[in-house]
Amino acid sequence: MSTARFDELIHAPTRLAIVSLLAAAQWADFKYIRDELGLSDSALSKQLSTLESAGYVEIRKQFVGKFPRTSASLSPAGRQAFEQHVAALRQIIARSQQDCDAQPAAEAAHGIPRR
Amino acid sequence: MSDTQQPRPAGTGTTRAEAAAELAEIQRRREQVIKAVLVPVWYWWVIAAAIVAIGVARDSGDLAVQATVIPLAALVIAVLTGAMIPELRRRVKAYTPPASARAPQTSARVAAAIIGMIVLVDGVILGTAASLHAAHLRYPGTIGCAAGAAAIVIAGPLVNRYLRKLMLSQARQQTSGAPQAAGTP
Repeated sequence: MSTARFDELIHAPTRLAIVSLLAAAQWADFKYIRDELGLSDSALSKQLSTLESAGYVEIRKQFVGKFPRTSASLSPAGRQAFEQHVAALRQIIARSQQDCDAQPAAEAAHGIPRR
Repeated sequence: MSDTQQPRPAGTGTTRAEAAAELAEIQRRREQVIKAVLVPVWYWWVIAAAIVAIGVARDSGDLAVQATVIPLAALVIAVLTGAMIPELRRRVKAYTPPASARAPQTSARVAAAIIGMIVLVDGVILGTAASLHAAHLRYPGTIGCAAGAAAIVIAGPLVNRYLRKLMLSQARQQTSGAPQAAGTP
């Protein structure tokens, strides 16, 4: 299991959607990501550039016949960061659950009557 | 908050509800990709219609009809199947974890589901048609192919659902680290 590490870069909603989509894919076409997430070309380009600068995403440009095709994939570092981020989210939920479970026990130990 | 701002220390401000919402978003995106790589339901209906057409042509006894309809239906099946897979793979390719991280027998289960469906459909067509023919009943080809077509439109989406479950289980394993076979809760 991955070490938990909350990643602020992935946490941002649009980037979370992009990284989640790419995490489930080996690679995805630029147009596919744009359409599935309902983003404009420029908004997606900007977010992909940010993720690429962080080393989380690899962008591949190639020609299929006469048409240029851009696809994106998570880099090994991006996949690891994503897995660590998911582990951190699970940890937040687990800790919150533990706190909820511990509270009645602490109240009982201190003799606080439960309503 | 702007996407580029990073004012909080690592996750300390994230509540349980926010974390749960993020995990739900991740799950939704996974399902989106898996849905995109599986064949759509209408594919099974077109294949079923082509099979019924073959059966009807066979029973018509008209050589001209047989010579036209049977190759045409076979062509529809071949072209549709041949075009569907590359078209699905053109947009997105589902992630496959390395063999060491994969749940045991995943590939074998996928192959068994697909081969099982082909054997089932062929078995239904040939079994029904042969039985009807042996009983000297009319239209054995049409009825046999119709039974096979019914098997396709029922089993096709079921195979899709099984593959979806298998892929989701594999994706969950990727982020939780715990191998989990499809079919286990």
